[in-house]
Amino acid sequence: MLFNLDKKITEAIDDAASKSLWLYHINAGSCNGCDIEIVAALTPRYDAERLGCKLTGSPRQADIVLVSGPVTLQSRDRLIRTLAQVPEPYCLVTVGSCPCSGNVFKGSYAICGPVDKYRHVDVSVAGCTPKPEAIMAGIAQAAAILKEKRRGMHE
Amino acid sequence: MAKLPYLGTALTNLFRKPVTIAFPAGEAPAAQPAYRGRIAFDASKCINCGMCERVCAPSCMTRVAKPLEGGEPGDQEITFTFDMTSCTFCGMCADFCAKKAITLTEDYMMTGIIAEDFLVTGKVIKKAPPKPKFTPEQLAAMKAAAEAKKKAAEAAKAAAQQA
Ligand code: SF4
Ligand code: SF4
Repeated sequence: MLFNLDKKITEAIDDAASKSLWLYHINAGSCNGCDIEIVAALTPRYDAERLGCKLTGSPRQADIVLVSGPVTLQSRDRLIRTLAQVPEPYCLVTVGSCPCSGNVFKGSYAICGPVDKYRHVDVSVAGCTPKPEAIMAGIAQAAAILKEKRRGMHE
Repeated sequence: MAKLPYLGTALTNLFRKPVTIAFPAGEAPAAQPAYRGRIAFDASKCINCGMCERVCAPSCMTRVAKPLEGGEPGDQEITFTFDMTSCTFCGMCADFCAKKAITLTEDYMMTGIIAEDFLVTGKVIKKAPPKPKFTPEQLAAMKAAAEAKKKAAEAAKAAAQQA
């Protein structure tokens, strides 16, 4: 096209999208500790919204998916079904020790984790629970990865 | 004049510093004192008693023993690996470690992409106990010899008394 206009438009859209990250949070049987810290990361003191983040209620609008909890038997199928609805490219961030390893619940008959059994995990945030600053760092890392993924999709 | 509620507060807020912390643009703030964060393991203090592994509820550490390269036969190199994605930061291992080899630091910034980002490792050298000077057979022979000597001495004594 004229002056590579289509490429420039795609780049501009990518740039804009990298500054508007919509978060979707899945609780896969978490004790609520990490969920509270995720909410805390969005409060004015930590203010993840500065990075362009916004908590969304639908997986279909998500750019970054935050998963907390050790993936219980009851939540496994729902987790997989919800993740299947997230449009590519997206980043999967696990929050806390549970989704990475099962934490103290590992070996239980009711635990089907870790999450990376089902989907590729892009960034893990360890801690029980992680501090909001650590979650912010994880989101920032995920944002960088997402930018790369978007660029990769156009090449 | 109509009273303007909150005007004072609004005006002072205009000149106040923001409450939002600058991170991730600036420095990450320090954790509160006695915060239990990433584990630090001092292998030089550890005596490989295994207590930390016993008290850890999520069994987050592994100990792998292999023969020490270039050491005496029987020497072992024991690798401790603490997986921070498995830890609940309860501090039990640090409390139970008799040698205070484990401490929980105030570093809470634990984000990563691969599993290796979260591992804390340390290598402990376990020396084989010193070899005994004599084998059990030698010891038994020495004991028998000593006993025979004692008996002979006693017999000689008895003979001297009778004479
Ligand atoms: S770290 Fe402490 S408790 Fe664990 S094996 Fe070493 S000395 Fe024992
Ligand atoms: S702090 Fe608790 S969970 Fe973590 S390694 Fe020590 S005993 Fe295990």
